[in-house]
Amino acid sequence: MSVRKPEWKDRDKMTVLNRPQPRVDGPLKATGRAVYTHDVRLPRMVYARLVLHSYSRAVVESVDLQPALDTTGVVAAGRLKEAGEALIYLGDDSAYAWVAATSPEAARDGARALRAKFADKAQSLVTREASLSSGAPEIIEGSRRIEGNVSGERSRGELDEVREAIAAAPTQITATYELPIQHHLCLETHGHVVDYDGNQATIYASTQMVSDSVGEYASLLGLSADRVRVVCEVMGGGFGSKFGAGLEGRVACEIAKELKRPVHLMLDRHQEFQMAGNRSGTVATLSGGVDASGRLLAMTAEVDRLGGVGGGSFPSPPYIYSAEQSATTMRSVHTAMDGNRAMRAPGHPQASFAMESMMEELAAAGGFDSVEIRKRNLEDKVWHRHLDRVAAAIGWESHPNRTGPGREATDGWAEGIGFGCATWRAGGRPGAGAEVRILPDGSVISACGVQDLGTGARTYVAGIVAEELGLPLGAVTPRIGDSDLPPGVASGGSVTTGSVAPAILDAAYNARVAFEERLAESTDIAVGDFTFEGSRVRGPEGSGFDLGFAEAASLLGTRPVIASGSFKSELAASGVLHGAQAARVRVDTFTGRVEVVKMVAIHDQGLILNRLALTSQINGGLTKALSYGLLEQRVVDEDNGWFLNANMESYKAVGMQEIPEIEVILDDEDDRPVTGMAEAPVIPGHSAIANAIFNACGARVRTMPFTPDRVLEALAARG
Amino acid sequence: MTRPPGDALPERDGPHEGPTDASPTTASSGITRRLFLGGAGAAAASTTLSQPSAAQPVKARLKVRTLSGTARVKLRINGSERELEVEPRTTLLSALRHHLARPLTGTKEVCDRGNCGACTVMIDGKPQYSCLTLAVRLEGREITTVEGLGSPEDMSAVQQAFCDKDALMCGFCTPGFVVASEACLSKYPDADLETIREQLSGNICRCGTQPHILKAVEAARDTRRGEESR
Repeated sequence: MSVRKPEWKDRDKMTVLNRPQPRVDGPLKATGRAVYTHDVRLPRMVYARLVLHSYSRAVVESVDLQPALDTTGVVAAGRLKEAGEALIYLGDDSAYAWVAATSPEAARDGARALRAKFADKAQSLVTREASLSSGAPEIIEGSRRIEGNVSGERSRGELDEVREAIAAAPTQITATYELPIQHHLCLETHGHVVDYDGNQATIYASTQMVSDSVGEYASLLGLSADRVRVVCEVMGGGFGSKFGAGLEGRVACEIAKELKRPVHLMLDRHQEFQMAGNRSGTVATLSGGVDASGRLLAMTAEVDRLGGVGGGSFPSPPYIYSAEQSATTMRSVHTAMDGNRAMRAPGHPQASFAMESMMEELAAAGGFDSVEIRKRNLEDKVWHRHLDRVAAAIGWESHPNRTGPGREATDGWAEGIGFGCATWRAGGRPGAGAEVRILPDGSVISACGVQDLGTGARTYVAGIVAEELGLPLGAVTPRIGDSDLPPGVASGGSVTTGSVAPAILDAAYNARVAFEERLAESTDIAVGDFTFEGSRVRGPEGSGFDLGFAEAASLLGTRPVIASGSFKSELAASGVLHGAQAARVRVDTFTGRVEVVKMVAIHDQGLILNRLALTSQINGGLTKALSYGLLEQRVVDEDNGWFLNANMESYKAVGMQEIPEIEVILDDEDDRPVTGMAEAPVIPGHSAIANAIFNACGARVRTMPFTPDRVLEALAARG
Repeated sequence: MTRPPGDALPERDGPHEGPTDASPTTASSGITRRLFLGGAGAAAASTTLSQPSAAQPVKARLKVRTLSGTARVKLRINGSERELEVEPRTTLLSALRHHLARPLTGTKEVCDRGNCGACTVMIDGKPQYSCLTLAVRLEGREITTVEGLGSPEDMSAVQQAFCDKDALMCGFCTPGFVVASEACLSKYPDADLETIREQLSGNICRCGTQPHILKAVEAARDTRRGEESR
């Protein structure tokens, strides 16, 4: 039976894909042999570091490099700001110098030796209130002036009309929800090793876009793109923050041009907090009214996005839910701090918290079941199925308080359940390419320049080819993370799998056809009549052709099969992605401490390439959401403009003691082809936790994170 | 090690064990409670605490050693002697990653402040943050890094379990977790889930491998005990 075009096999016939597969790079990572950008060591390499100021707004009076240059081990130093220049915001704009030395210790010595003098600008402007106060100076002046520190104001809908509709509704809620600035906290900081010899360059980058970044590094080095290679075989986390060279890449290239020695420039942890981006904070006032059936008749939202000098993110309410009428007004309020960057589902976790909290408050106010009110306002039945699944898994049916909060027991402990929904877009986009080689000894290479952030891309780059050629996973060697290979796509928007997997399949199919053509030359079996299965290549019954894969490959003589492939949209999913999550928490009403007991998630995701890696992706979303909901926040000193917790001691992130029981339900009912699973699972977990806290004891915490003090305040505010 | 002239050294230049490892009230530690509390001071305590197995009480000595410039040290890393020249302030983490002739970069630098566990190594089999350990103090000690626990072709039970249970994603926290897990199971061969959580609570992961790490360590425990993994 001949196959005329690349297509995914039936799922139940798959032997490599749709199975739990340990990652092919597991052994390298578990034994410390995987080489990250931070680990690259080259002869004559220098260690460079940026020198950052710690105050939010300042003016440079002088930068004296000589003490740095006189420091033992320092090879070079440079200014990034000249006398009279302003440091406008606490971020990459705080960098005023760099030092390069023969060791990291010497580089730090040089940085400390630098003599820089600053005059402070009057006001630090690191809070929304400060930026909006009357008489507040403008953070960005001149040609890119931001008037009143507010920008991007957009209104939609008829505010007065909608407000009237809310007022007339049987059940109404108005509340203000606040979220802090969150940090990506990539364990490997941002940075590069730039190896430039004056003629060509190899850039080792901790990046989410290997192929797409060649042009930028080429232009920074003054080279044509054909002389630039970007390499990132493994990287220690990006979460949306690692697109582009950044200031650290620009400076590394400048130093490389000057010294013509390899330059290792990585941010340290404090710098990573200060200048490597963040998830924007939010102040959102929502107002909504439901009818007697729980249907959302009308809602308004007034949203301030807090993205530092950036615009911030927030998708328009009612977000996943639908309302008969809605009106929103949204704007960016700027502070003199590092601009927000994309962070895993930008804006969505923020919108989720506001919407899911409001829905829960409406449910409690009107006496509606938490699951039923959500279904009432979600047309798409996939969410209904998802909510039912997580409700069953969390034990909703037997839970005592389903239409309003409970109360704590006499020992002070209360237990509750909360829900949240997720959405994203399925599919990929054109641009990815791949090459598959079948070598005469039977070994196989699958190559694509795409990066693997820890998602498992490397494994499916091999796995898709193995599946197509009837081989085990270990029989295909993947090559990724190199701009010399066929192009990958930038890993943003969860498009990587949906873009790259189709290209790999296309190349695998083309390689198989090309192999068959070569075999057909020396047999009388037609192309399309070969079967690749169980590491063997067989002709039709009666043909007598039945060889092991390697033996069949040996018929290639000395000429390998080389085939390429590219993205085919019919091989990727499209449409909407859905998901639902539930959390069960215990609240100690004496101390305000919240313990997450269990989290459950279901997300549709089309064809599952690796059930183990997919589960890990969803685990990652849940643990991040727990961390966001209970622990993480940036803390600033309002007067001095200092970033107080720019370290991993005081910026709290989830640890082993907080990990709950987690149940991930893989949704095999979604029969679409491949799509990514990166952003959807990180969206609603913290909302489910907030709702669970409320469900447990009536404490409505409207400001994240839900620290004990806030839980106690909310308990005190109970009616 | 190079010694500045005229400095008398304490009897043995060993690393500070830490108060929990050498109780000042234990006779075998060589210090009596009276000596410890009787005005000998912190310097004396640290001198004597570094010799927990001394048979007799050691006379308190208020001595300060000064090291400057670089020092040539021989470190025993993963069973091999490695010679290097480092400043006294060089952490073991930096020594491994930057100052060895053939650097060992498996141990990761993430916070450099003892907040995250990515730099975890073993010193004489005990887990320790290498970013908070000075290289010059480790002569005579057995240093084990993640590379020393196994190779890709020959992984330890813990490393194999991390692969099998998908307890790694970006992999940057993995070396620290692997070392901490090995240390946990060496100390507690029958560790239950609570113990595993506690012993790994000094390690941070950002990608979300924690649930699978717990499964991996349980599986490795069972493998090491010779039972069939559940």
